[in-house]
Amino acid sequence: MSFTLRSVKVAPNSASLEEARIRVFDFFRSACRSIPTIMDIYNLDDVVTPSQLRASIASQIRKNCHITNPKVIDMLLFKGIEELNNVVEHAKQRHHIIGQYVVGSGGLVQDVGTKDQANSNFLKNFYETNYF
Amino acid sequence: MGLGLLASRALRSSRLLTSPSPRFSFLRPIVSTPELQNPEAAQAQPEAPPPADLPKRAPVAGARVHFTNPEDAIEVFVDGYPVKIPKGFTVLQACEVAGVDIPRFCYHSRLSIAGNCRMCLVEVEKSPKPVASCAMPALPGMKIKTDTPIAKKAREGVMEFLLMNHPLDCPICDQGGECDLQDQSMAFGSDRGRFTEMKRSVVDKNLGPLVKTVMTRCIQCTRCVRFATEVAGVQDLGMLGRGSGEEIGTYVEKLMTSELSGNVIDICPVGALTSKPFAFKARNWELKGTESIDVTDAVGSNIRIDSRGPEIMRILPRLNEDINEEWISDKTRFFYDGLKRQRLNDPMIRGSDGRFKAVSWRDALAVIAEVIHQVKPEEIVGVAGKLSDAESMMVLKDFLNRMGSNNVWCEGNGMHPNADLRSGYLLNSGISGLEKADAFLLVGTQPRVEAAMVNARIRKTVRATEAKVGYIGPPTDLNYDHQHLGTTTQTLKEIAENRHPFCSTLSNAKNPSIIVGAGIFERGDKDAIFAAIETIAKNCKAIRPDWNGLNVLLLNAAQAAALDLGLVPESQNCIESAKFLYLMGADDVSLEKLPSDAFVVYQGHHGDRGVYRANVILPASAFTEKEGTYENTEGCAQQTLPAVPTVGDARDDWKIIRALSEVAGARLPYDTVSGVRSRIRVVAPNLLRVDEREAATFSSSLVKPEIKQEMSSEPFGSAVENFYMTDSITRASKIMAQCSAMLLKK
Repeated sequence: MSFTLRSVKVAPNSASLEEARIRVFDFFRSACRSIPTIMDIYNLDDVVTPSQLRASIASQIRKNCHITNPKVIDMLLFKGIEELNNVVEHAKQRHHIIGQYVVGSGGLVQDVGTKDQANSNFLKNFYETNYF
Repeated sequence: MGLGLLASRALRSSRLLTSPSPRFSFLRPIVSTPELQNPEAAQAQPEAPPPADLPKRAPVAGARVHFTNPEDAIEVFVDGYPVKIPKGFTVLQACEVAGVDIPRFCYHSRLSIAGNCRMCLVEVEKSPKPVASCAMPALPGMKIKTDTPIAKKAREGVMEFLLMNHPLDCPICDQGGECDLQDQSMAFGSDRGRFTEMKRSVVDKNLGPLVKTVMTRCIQCTRCVRFATEVAGVQDLGMLGRGSGEEIGTYVEKLMTSELSGNVIDICPVGALTSKPFAFKARNWELKGTESIDVTDAVGSNIRIDSRGPEIMRILPRLNEDINEEWISDKTRFFYDGLKRQRLNDPMIRGSDGRFKAVSWRDALAVIAEVIHQVKPEEIVGVAGKLSDAESMMVLKDFLNRMGSNNVWCEGNGMHPNADLRSGYLLNSGISGLEKADAFLLVGTQPRVEAAMVNARIRKTVRATEAKVGYIGPPTDLNYDHQHLGTTTQTLKEIAENRHPFCSTLSNAKNPSIIVGAGIFERGDKDAIFAAIETIAKNCKAIRPDWNGLNVLLLNAAQAAALDLGLVPESQNCIESAKFLYLMGADDVSLEKLPSDAFVVYQGHHGDRGVYRANVILPASAFTEKEGTYENTEGCAQQTLPAVPTVGDARDDWKIIRALSEVAGARLPYDTVSGVRSRIRVVAPNLLRVDEREAATFSSSLVKPEIKQEMSSEPFGSAVENFYMTDSITRASKIMAQCSAMLLKK
């Protein structure tokens, strides 16, 4: 399965924004289709659900939704395909997947408490770092 | 060292001297400067008259000459420069005043003169041979020449002999890069060797867990021997054998048991004595130096923290004539590995199962704020630890006062400290001022373990002036001549009532100095003891306008600043009634009487004794990671500087309390460290005059109320049981554990 993805050649440039858009959707679909394999090879069943992983992939794509240059989209798409290849080929380890796609940028200790707006700048900085 | 300057001068002039001649094109001589092969010819060179417009030279390392008596000044000429120096200076010192750095190995300004390395040879007019400048007294009108072919030839020859038996292991030597021999062989040595025989080798000696020896590298300068006998006061090191069999060593298989032994690493000009914990860890040129202050005792020794990235690699002394001269104690030098172990990373809350669970700062502070509102104000107690800086103690006191409590103190100061007059808790004559004293009375203090640098100063005084030392306390090992007068307050009473033979020594002394240990602060009869000591001081006239000889030797870095800031508990038994206890790095406060339902917050950097009882842990930064003000025992405020980043999620002490105050609804009015300092300015402005000693103005005997208390007959205890382990950092250190296991063996 994984080697079928490796054989994918670099496609020629997208002629238009529309073509690039279709390619992105294709990439998203292929990523979604490999989610069961990823869950399996990285033992992710007890930490994450397929829908969470899907949402994580979607948010990575949506992060670049403002880009309209088809060349840039092609480049990003290429990077995405490469990343997916690496993941599916087990070129990564479990903590890479967990760190990057399960925990994400929020960090381990999530600020789930009330976001108190009354705090001074000192306290807000204090919660962030020692150096301010 | 100024060696660069010397080297460049040597290079410049040798280029002038060396005229390339075709004669040597086939057969090259071994000596690099062919003209020097014939000293007579070199001497016969016409003496150039000194040019009139000699540029002014600055003395080496900014040295200044102090003339006690202007008539004692004599004039000598160094390379043609006239220089005025006091009588009794050596030729080498005269050259330093003239701005010429003479190469040397055995000479050290704080040790006696040995004159055995011969590296400092200079030419003196009308003297038949070059003279060893370190041992030759300068005479009026002497014409010293440091730059002549004869002097250079002499240095080159000495270098050749020294390098003959010195191994070529600079690439694996820890001294590499800061080695005097390396530097001077580059500057003054011959550019080729003619030594083909085998080098000698010497068996390495075991000097204990701190000093690593590679005795083959030793050049027999005997600096370490002189340091051990003169400054450290132990007769452990010595010279064995003569000629090529000469070795430095302990006479029998023995460890070096001095609390200052680490200093031999600094004074060793080669890599024969190096630091064992630092061995093969780093190269000195890749380290970042941060000038900071030591906090393991109340002396406040000036140190340089050498770090690489986030790790402290070693600690070296910094020169401060008033505090530690250029030495530091072994504890100061080697405790740094404790900063890597047992550190607290994250805020933690103890769950119902008794285990700690890491939480976010937000949650930890919210829990504390909730609890602190459920207890009565008088049940809130705060204790500052012995390593606390002035800023955090100020903020702690302000916070507890805002919560309605005034039960805050610093551990080691006792429950009823005398914070009214600074003279009641400072070393009033100053550490360097102890050198003027001619009689000492040590009461309940063992300076050798409580403050090794103060002890070194007393020893220096005793050696120089043969001052008499009387000691009251448990039997101890002081490394100078002393009379053990007694172990209980009975002796103190006898001296106060002029019934003791030591009284005459004290009253005959010009500057008597009474040193009281801070261990007495914890005693119940403290006021009576201090009253007796003040009587003694009055009897022997120790307190005069020009001399204050009534000294208190503090134990911890935080004590003096805490008393300056007024950290005095309101009630003496507040621990027994406490419901909320805030420990700011306090590990040695006795918590046995604390009620079992009390809520304990421990804020600190090490998981030490205080953590066992804590309900919430707040990780704080250690003194190497923050900027903090510390006041030493003589009243000199000094600042630490951050050398490495904080560990984990730790925060600076004052920031934690400032944040907690806001969460608890009693927001403190400062957001920056300068804000805290302007608050300190209101309370104790002397803490902001950094690096300046602020002496006490009043003397306490004038205004004190009558003391009705009686002294108990309980003998004086020793305040420090184990010199190597006194606080949370040193207790976490592996090297300090090794030292206590090997060196404290009786």
